[in-house]
Amino acid sequence: MAENQKQNYLTHPKGIMSWLLTLDHKRIGLMYLFGGIIFFFLGGVLALGMRLELAAPGNDFVSNDTYNNMYTLHGAIMIFLFIIPAIPGALGNILLPLMLGAKDVAFPRLNLASFYIYTIGALFVMYTIISGGVDTGWTFYTPYSTTSTSNVIPMTMGIFVIGFSSILTGLNFIATIHKMRIPGLTWYKLPLFVWALYGTSLVQITATPVIAITMVLLILERLLGIGIFDPALGGDPVLYQHFFWFYSHPAVYIMILPAFGIISEIIPVHSRKKVWGYKFIAFSTLSIAFIGFLVWGHHMFTSGQSVFSQIVFSFITYFVGIPTGVKIFSWMLTMYKGQVSFTPPMLYALSFLFLFTIGGLTGIFLGAVALDIHLHDTYFVVAHFHYVMQGGTIIAFLGGLHHWWPKSMGTMYNQTVASICCLGVFLGFNGTFFPQFLLGLRGMPRRYATYDQQFAELHNYSSFWSGILGLSIFISIMNLLWSLRKNNKLDPGTNPWGGMTLEWTHTTSPPHPHNFEEEPVLEHGPYDYDKVIVEPTFKK
Amino acid sequence: MSEHHITPLKTYLAVAGTLFFLTAVTVWVSYFDFGSFNIIIAMGVATMKASIVALFFMHLLWDDKKNLTMFVMSLMFLGIFITVTLLDTGFRGGVNSEVEYPINNRATFYDSLPLTDTHGHPVDEHSADQHGEDEDHH
Ligand SMILES: [Cu+2]
Repeated sequence: MAENQKQNYLTHPKGIMSWLLTLDHKRIGLMYLFGGIIFFFLGGVLALGMRLELAAPGNDFVSNDTYNNMYTLHGAIMIFLFIIPAIPGALGNILLPLMLGAKDVAFPRLNLASFYIYTIGALFVMYTIISGGVDTGWTFYTPYSTTSTSNVIPMTMGIFVIGFSSILTGLNFIATIHKMRIPGLTWYKLPLFVWALYGTSLVQITATPVIAITMVLLILERLLGIGIFDPALGGDPVLYQHFFWFYSHPAVYIMILPAFGIISEIIPVHSRKKVWGYKFIAFSTLSIAFIGFLVWGHHMFTSGQSVFSQIVFSFITYFVGIPTGVKIFSWMLTMYKGQVSFTPPMLYALSFLFLFTIGGLTGIFLGAVALDIHLHDTYFVVAHFHYVMQGGTIIAFLGGLHHWWPKSMGTMYNQTVASICCLGVFLGFNGTFFPQFLLGLRGMPRRYATYDQQFAELHNYSSFWSGILGLSIFISIMNLLWSLRKNNKLDPGTNPWGGMTLEWTHTTSPPHPHNFEEEPVLEHGPYDYDKVIVEPTFKK
Repeated sequence: MSEHHITPLKTYLAVAGTLFFLTAVTVWVSYFDFGSFNIIIAMGVATMKASIVALFFMHLLWDDKKNLTMFVMSLMFLGIFITVTLLDTGFRGGVNSEVEYPINNRATFYDSLPLTDTHGHPVDEHSADQHGEDEDHH
């Protein structure tokens, strides 16, 4: 028994092959995390390169063509290789079976296959970069993408392949949530992160096939000249945008719903209070997932689609605000009169509330047709989606990483450094992107390597703070990795935040190779801080 | 789960018969020109056939109803995609009338073939040129 307690999934079994061929969801999750962080770094370096170019007007760092490649690769890498796979692939994989009391996901081999499909897709993207890049923007709009001489085909092939990884992960999670719960763990006793993953998975399996087929149609049009999008061949270029956004708007929810799930876990645990409006949060996830399928045309207000559909899309877009608002209020009421402790994960969660609200509200501005026609393709849009994607998803991802790091790695990072970095991320982020709202309002178009003198001051300010932002994220990741040094192990029974879900109460940190030594018995709901006392324990 | 359903051979044969019958219907209706309804009729029959295959040959009818729900949901999302996109293509030209109709109604693939009418009879190049614009009004 004593021997058994020392075993954990990180050290048992040993050897490189035991990692590469592992069927353990926790190891697969860590491999996703590793891949995701590499691409996060790559995308981040590209972003900082662009900010360097934009620090002053004129082409003083890169040429126009290089700049076109940079923003295309930055967008495509961040979205398809980091944000979409990172939370479900890494945190979702590690936590979902633990939260359900299960030994693994429903289809462990399929899970490993998803990871390798992701790797193959990533190789296509790497090939694209090495062989000269692609300059269409991450949206690959026709007719430019069917005529551009850059490497559109390998890039879109990569996205096609990665799509299948996403579909299979979604399928696996849905089967796992339906079939692998321990007895007594009914739907309304599931942690909210599981609800979020469920909503995400539904979107993944219903929307992702559409991006796959869109990429295939684009490749066929380039290779064979069949007339789907080219008007001279009997096609319709706006049809491409319908196809693309029918996936890519729901994809925004593939990116943000798991972030909502993380916030729904962090806030009650670090406020030591039962979550307010459990069912509201759970069902708002599903309604966001559904409404998300009806609003894609709000990306196309200046594309030449009919005025009638502009009005319809604009109208439906406002409805997304309702379930999102419900969530924000539920989280705030959860904190109200709770014992809020300002730990690093909680600081990230608080930043999320602030930044995501700005991102969401500016999304409502852009959903209004009349305003969007003015702001379309300006820096206002750039600032808006960075407030949602980085201020929302990446901040939540970092928060989740700090929250579950002691659980998944069995070590504790330096909390002071982590908190300072969180502050640096918050300030750096606002310093980088808030000026971009102003730039956009004044008419600065996106995707240009240079600009008029009147925009210089705000651009310069944005570039300066982007350095602080990049540095803070880099140090916070290094801080996490530094905790893995020798002789820094936590006691396996540590529950540093006093979490109540099964991964905190019924298994060791890091968990046993088979998750639980025996099937856990459910004793209380996920957030019953009003009924049971679970004290935070923290020892080395 | 529920015990495995064994379908009697008679059902399979009846389903196969229906599929053959519907194939004949597809061929038969192709001899009539319903204008823009051509595609709707063809897709309608094809959807019917696909549903029969999914329900009987793929056992969705007797399976856990969750699987049927998933299948119906995927059709529903396809329906949303097509109908909402039609709100665009069906109402173009509200502001700029020149974008109301596509430049070219036919895929260029057909340009390489000899011109025919809807029954496959060759058409004189010269007279076809004059009516080239309004094929839908035959
Ligand atoms: Cu959208």
